[in-house]
Amino acid sequence: MTTTTQFEAGHKITGTPFSPTRETIRAFCEASLDFNPLHLDDEYMKGDFGKTNFGGIIMHGMNNFGVITKMLTDWLHEQNAVQRRLETRWKSPVKPGDTITPKGRITSLKKTANSRWVCLDVEVRNQRNEVVAAGEAMAEFPQ
Amino acid sequence: MTAQTFETDFWKDNELRKTWEQIVPGEPRKTIPYTLTLEAIQKYCRVVGDTHPLYFDEEYAKTTPYKGLIAPPTIHILLMFACTPADDWMRSPGTVNAGQSWSYNIPARPGDTIRLEARALDKFIKKDRLFVVHDNVFFNQHNQVICSGRGQTIRPA
Repeated sequence: MTTTTQFEAGHKITGTPFSPTRETIRAFCEASLDFNPLHLDDEYMKGDFGKTNFGGIIMHGMNNFGVITKMLTDWLHEQNAVQRRLETRWKSPVKPGDTITPKGRITSLKKTANSRWVCLDVEVRNQRNEVVAAGEAMAEFPQ
Repeated sequence: MTAQTFETDFWKDNELRKTWEQIVPGEPRKTIPYTLTLEAIQKYCRVVGDTHPLYFDEEYAKTTPYKGLIAPPTIHILLMFACTPADDWMRSPGTVNAGQSWSYNIPARPGDTIRLEARALDKFIKKDRLFVVHDNVFFNQHNQVICSGRGQTIRPA
């Protein structure tokens, strides 16, 4: 994990890898109350979703949100900075047995009257180096 | 609402839920206030592997600018289902999350009573798929905004 304080475009941070299993996906259902059969029911997941067939249960897309946020907040909390925004799009499903790793890269900086703002590109890749989620984040640092 | 009374079979009330055809952009969704417990926060944190002491160690948390335990920003993942009734269309089986953007104001804290204001903001068809745009704002018991979010889901046909 990168913990240095850097305020320049191009600075990179990496988060903790996360390896979803059938058990972690079930636990995410319990903890988030999202019991959509996409995450529970292998029979249901044998069917097609439009042109897509997932071939089995998939991790909650929002689990990526949690993994990216842990990366950001591990970096921000110790600098008294605050995660202000996160936007992601899901590019590819994550399945039990995959390992996903979040990364971030500062793209721009902005000073306002009371704060310094840091914008980052974020992405999550699986063990095959495929992007499973991509987006942008914004954090507020004290002056 | 507690996890014990939460209906985990999302097929059960499915006929009561609005389909893409029936969803009216702009119309408020029914929501339910929810009391967020430390137990629920920590259960969520453990599942995503986030055990930062701000969420677990009260003595430590008191020494920080937050002056006590807080929930991580993404607790809205739980709040979305905790604050909506069983006939809400977020629970329609086959709902696929296509992307989300959230803006964070102040953290939720253990013991907060959280209220959601939510609606569909827009709906459209793209690549033969039925999309709805969601608009959600969570408030605490002091009417302070915790976070606000916009999302897109692909609706079951």
